[in-house]
Amino acid sequence: MAEGQRRDFYAWFWRAPLLVWQLLFFVVPLAFMFVMSFWLVKNYRMTPAFAFDNWAKMLGWNIFWSSYAYTMALAVAATILASVLAFPAAYGLAFRVTDTTRRWALFFLIIPFFTSYLVRVYAWQVVLAGNGVISAMLGWVGLGPISLLNTPIGTLVGYLTLSFPLVVILQTISLASIDKTLIEAAHNMGCSPLRTVFSVIIPAAKVGLIVAGLFCFILSFGDFVSPYYLGGSKPPTLSIMIVDSTKSGQQWPRAAVIAVVMILSLLAIAFTAVKFAYRRRG
Amino acid sequence: MTQSLVVFDKVEKRFADFTAVKPTSFEIAQGEFLAIMGPSGCGKTTTLRMLAGLEAPTGGEIRFEGKVMNDVKPHERDTPMVWQSLALFPFLNARENVEFGLKMRGMEAATRKKKALDWLDRLGIGQFAERNVAKLSGGQRQRVALARALVTEPKILLLDEPLSALDAHLVIRMQSVLTKLQKELGITFVYVTHSQSEAFAMADRVIIMAQGEIAQIGKAKDIYRAPANKFVAEFVGRNNIFEGTVKANTSGSVQVETRLGTFVVPTAAASTARTGDPLSFVVAADLVQVSTKKPAAENVVECQLLSEQFMGTTVTLFLEAADGSEIKVQIGQRELETIDLTHGGRLYASWPSSRAHVLAG
Repeated sequence: MAEGQRRDFYAWFWRAPLLVWQLLFFVVPLAFMFVMSFWLVKNYRMTPAFAFDNWAKMLGWNIFWSSYAYTMALAVAATILASVLAFPAAYGLAFRVTDTTRRWALFFLIIPFFTSYLVRVYAWQVVLAGNGVISAMLGWVGLGPISLLNTPIGTLVGYLTLSFPLVVILQTISLASIDKTLIEAAHNMGCSPLRTVFSVIIPAAKVGLIVAGLFCFILSFGDFVSPYYLGGSKPPTLSIMIVDSTKSGQQWPRAAVIAVVMILSLLAIAFTAVKFAYRRRG
Repeated sequence: MTQSLVVFDKVEKRFADFTAVKPTSFEIAQGEFLAIMGPSGCGKTTTLRMLAGLEAPTGGEIRFEGKVMNDVKPHERDTPMVWQSLALFPFLNARENVEFGLKMRGMEAATRKKKALDWLDRLGIGQFAERNVAKLSGGQRQRVALARALVTEPKILLLDEPLSALDAHLVIRMQSVLTKLQKELGITFVYVTHSQSEAFAMADRVIIMAQGEIAQIGKAKDIYRAPANKFVAEFVGRNNIFEGTVKANTSGSVQVETRLGTFVVPTAAASTARTGDPLSFVVAADLVQVSTKKPAAENVVECQLLSEQFMGTTVTLFLEAADGSEIKVQIGQRELETIDLTHGGRLYASWPSSRAHVLAG
């Protein structure tokens, strides 16, 4: 009994810092934000209250819902694009190169994270602008000038800048850990190499592929930098709407409503995705 | 031998830094149960994988029903395999695993479902058809793997150490399942194993491989009674190997001088031996007799009893001869009771000359 109690003490001793940290800097602010969503703003000053005004205003506002749909659509598009574009790269790295090459490739895929995301997004402005690199190249073949800056495509490029290397890394790791005899067994039973990708490799790596996509979705859904600097803020995504709300008329409670809706959406999607990833039959 | 289904014609497999299979030729008959046996790294699995197309030979030709297979892709062959790890698809249930090969052949869903269920029933696991394969026992998974490989009604089934992960009592059960299936279906089984008991219990013919070469090919009985060389004699185990030189070769008998004394071996096998030639022979452990009194016969070795090992109704005695070499004797339990045994006690091992088998080379 004493032995067990001592073990309990040590367990709690080492858990305590993390628990305190999470409580102070995650649970408390989150709870505060939730509480704040019921406050009121009077004469540009927040006053504590318990009113549903903000919720009614935001949820009844068409522009909020179109922004929600737009943000969701962009994040879904980024997730699909990143997952589909990353797959051939990850497949090659997992099955077609030596272990050494794979290690180097994974290392190089981490390097983009060494520079600030903001700096990389600014670099894209030069490439995407009307007098930028892509437009100039299109000019050589008689097209353009065309500016991809301040378009949804610009935003998507930014989202992919943020998440693509991560998706490739996660996909590569999950594909490389597939039992190779499963692939041989598929060939052995008359499954062509291309069909094996869809019949065996993707199902076998399902969890990793879904988690990779989920990361892309989460990063894109909440991102502020790309829709602002590459998408031109029009139409606004939810993150831009949060900033706008706080700037115009000190509407922190309305921003809190948007934030709470975003968090609940992400929770629901992440939960569903993970549940689907680990779903087993029989 | 009936018509050959598979021909290996000087087939060779080199990897960058070593040769897995040296140029090797053999044939597999229609409906034969062939075991390929050998220590790890002997090339047995590579040989099997070349037959399935999972490794490309670097020399020679593999023919299947007369057709050269070297450039045929694995998925275009009909050489299903049962893997050591079973390689069942974890994301499919038992029935879907069995259906896989049929689906790839474009069979319609209802037909393939019925076929898969028939096979699962035949192997006695019909009630687990819709169960996740991870939730099946080792023996049940084994049967799913077998059903999955056989459902396409192939002419040949390749098995790569399929029983090595099972408990001993299950191994015996699965052995009889396998031999029964093979007889009923009348198809060719090629069975790779490192286990002598599995190979000898099931196979019509056994290939023993060593260092990428065939050391011996033949019926289990022949390999056991007449090992072709010292490697086989040692690998098969229950053999006593004697090395010496020819002392005299008279018309009636060949006398061999060894460190343990002079022994007589059958003339026929050593007729060309001349005095002074090196000569080795083996005497299988179960052909050696023991007694506490010195028998008045040729081929007697005086020994001490070191230990005994009981295996069912037989017992193996480990004796030590005067020069420290070991002599193995396998006798029945009943026979053992008639001998007065004490550890360290003096014993005489003896055998008739006709039981000695002269090794080539």
